[in-house]
Amino acid sequence: MLQVREVVKRYDDRTVVDHVTFEVDAGEVFALLGPNGAGKTTLIRMITDILRPDSGEILLDGRKVDSERRHAIAYLPEERGLYRRTKAFEVVAYYGELKGMTPRDSRAEARRLLERVELAEWADKQVQALSKGMQQKVQLCTALIGSPTLLILDEPFSGLDPINVQLFESILAERRAAGTTVLLSTHQMNKVEEVCDRALMINEGKMVLHGAVRDIRRLHADHAVIVHTEDHLPALPGVRSVEPMNGDFKLMLEPEATAQSVLRALIDRDVRIQSFALAWLPLEDVFVKVVRERLGLEGSKG
Amino acid sequence: MNASWQRILTVARREFLTTVKRRAFLLTLIGTPAYFAFVTFLSASASLQEKKDALKDLDVLAVIDSSGAFANASREIRTTLKTDLTFSRRSTMKPDSISFRTEVRFYSSLDSALADVRSGKIPQALVIPADYVETGRMRRYTRPGSPFTSGDRKAIGGWLARNLVAGHVGDDVAARAARPSEEEQLFTLDRSGRFEIKDDSREIADFLVPMFFSMLLGLSIMIGGQYLLQGVAEEKESRILESLMCQVSAEELMTGKLMGLGAVGLMTVGIWVTAGLLASGPALSMMPISAQPSVLAVATLYFLFGYLFFGSIMTGIGAITNNMREAQQFAVWFTLANFAPFILITSILSHPDGPLAFWLSLFPPTASTTMMMRLGASNSAVPAWQVALSLVLLGASGLLALRTSARIFRVGLLMYGKPPTLPEILRWARRA
Repeated sequence: MLQVREVVKRYDDRTVVDHVTFEVDAGEVFALLGPNGAGKTTLIRMITDILRPDSGEILLDGRKVDSERRHAIAYLPEERGLYRRTKAFEVVAYYGELKGMTPRDSRAEARRLLERVELAEWADKQVQALSKGMQQKVQLCTALIGSPTLLILDEPFSGLDPINVQLFESILAERRAAGTTVLLSTHQMNKVEEVCDRALMINEGKMVLHGAVRDIRRLHADHAVIVHTEDHLPALPGVRSVEPMNGDFKLMLEPEATAQSVLRALIDRDVRIQSFALAWLPLEDVFVKVVRERLGLEGSKG
Repeated sequence: MNASWQRILTVARREFLTTVKRRAFLLTLIGTPAYFAFVTFLSASASLQEKKDALKDLDVLAVIDSSGAFANASREIRTTLKTDLTFSRRSTMKPDSISFRTEVRFYSSLDSALADVRSGKIPQALVIPADYVETGRMRRYTRPGSPFTSGDRKAIGGWLARNLVAGHVGDDVAARAARPSEEEQLFTLDRSGRFEIKDDSREIADFLVPMFFSMLLGLSIMIGGQYLLQGVAEEKESRILESLMCQVSAEELMTGKLMGLGAVGLMTVGIWVTAGLLASGPALSMMPISAQPSVLAVATLYFLFGYLFFGSIMTGIGAITNNMREAQQFAVWFTLANFAPFILITSILSHPDGPLAFWLSLFPPTASTTMMMRLGASNSAVPAWQVALSLVLLGASGLLALRTSARIFRVGLLMYGKPPTLPEILRWARRA
């Protein structure tokens, strides 16, 4: 659906996006990750045709994003902003018209969307009369109107209370079910684990991680298993050390050992196992680990 | 530019409607002409009142005549002051006027006359020395008054002239000597080589028509430009541009804004002109004003090209600055350039075909207003090639400004922080 091929963007002599290549499939929720200043916003601006790449190409359904394809993309930027002295539904309808809807259709759709985000009674109020959270919901409506096929959301959950986070998530799920592709840029890694199929992580403009979220976590998992048992753990073949961890035990494995061999050894020794899991790092830890590794590499180079 | 006209028109419509719905627009629409009308009326009324007061205060004039030339002079001065503030003397309405009478009281001693002036018994004393007829020297003593009126001086001057010749000539000649060129008809050569009468109304029209046309043009360009500046600065400040520019390209956004807010400027001036014509129709119909269709067509072109030039620059300024305050600091220089010809209006209208007027009408920032002054001036015959060259230069500059500003707009809209330096702006223009 979205193809980003060997894209490069330079500002003066600084390369902010350096040969980035990835694809997002139709109906997928794809995470774009990276520390602050990694080049995510520049990459998004190139996908939305706000900026042009210096080299490489970006295709949407096999065609360049041009004037005609623009309406297929919607973008909720991290920097929120709306026309403050305009009524909420008029702002949303304006975006609808820019996406090619008739004034009548866009106004009807704007009201329907505002109702969906529980702002029906605020639709005729000026934006400046709305709270920050309400304005964020209006902004989400400006992205949703016109049923875009690619929805780019930059930190959509920041500043929202848990009720509104759930509301945003349910709307995302609806859109995904309807076939909308979502490109999600966020620092909330738990949300990436919950809703994203695949992820790309960039650092200093370069790709550092790319693949299914599950694979990324597995790839960066410690060679260890986490066991919960009330019994005393005996010495086990293939286990280098045992670390207590929040009531569980983290068993660090020898390089040649596998989770299966350790599980078998535990069963053979009649240890009553209450839970057994691979010691996968949370995505957040993978993120920190990878960024630190990159920084370490840069440091050693210097 | 691979632009969508649907999006451009959507932007234009929104810009137009949101601007005209604002209270500030209504204030500009009504407030600006009301302010000018009020100031003009106040100024004219104040000037008339000054004259009235001066003549009313001059109820007695003390005269100490050592020359003997005024021994048989009349003992009163009668002055008539027109209070009609309209321009035309051809009006069928009877002009309003007020008559004043001043008693001329002869004193034998200067000291007693000055004592009466000091005590406020009499307002003025006129001392006519023995050698007055040879030298013209005389002295006038008065209490402090307004420095801006010459009403009393004219009245005294008329009395002196009339009574100097009284007795030597008939009364009618004496009266004429007091006001020798009252009914003068001045004929001046017009553009077609004919002598045309140049009365008060034509003199006013010769000044007002070019001034009015160029002022309207300058104002309409500036109003549209100011709205553009404000609109872009507000959008940048509210950080809406990033999501907006995903839906509409920088070029489409800029073109839509130029169209929508240009229409606001044009409509504003249109309403002012219509309201002005309706309000002052009878007075204007007396004035020798005629607008040639060709001049109107040229004025429209100057509006379009001038607005394109200034509007593009204003949009670019809005894009590179962070807020309205910063934007105004940059924009003021271009506003001054547009109105610079008004500072030089006397020189331009005195010599509408001179080098100053010629070069200012070619220089794009001053071309619109200067050329409209030249075209409106009765003593000018602007060659067609000069109008064409001026329009070509302005149009080309407008397109260049549009192209450059669109590039700066694209980069600058998403830049925040310290306003860029000139080399940075030039780099943006090349890079975008």
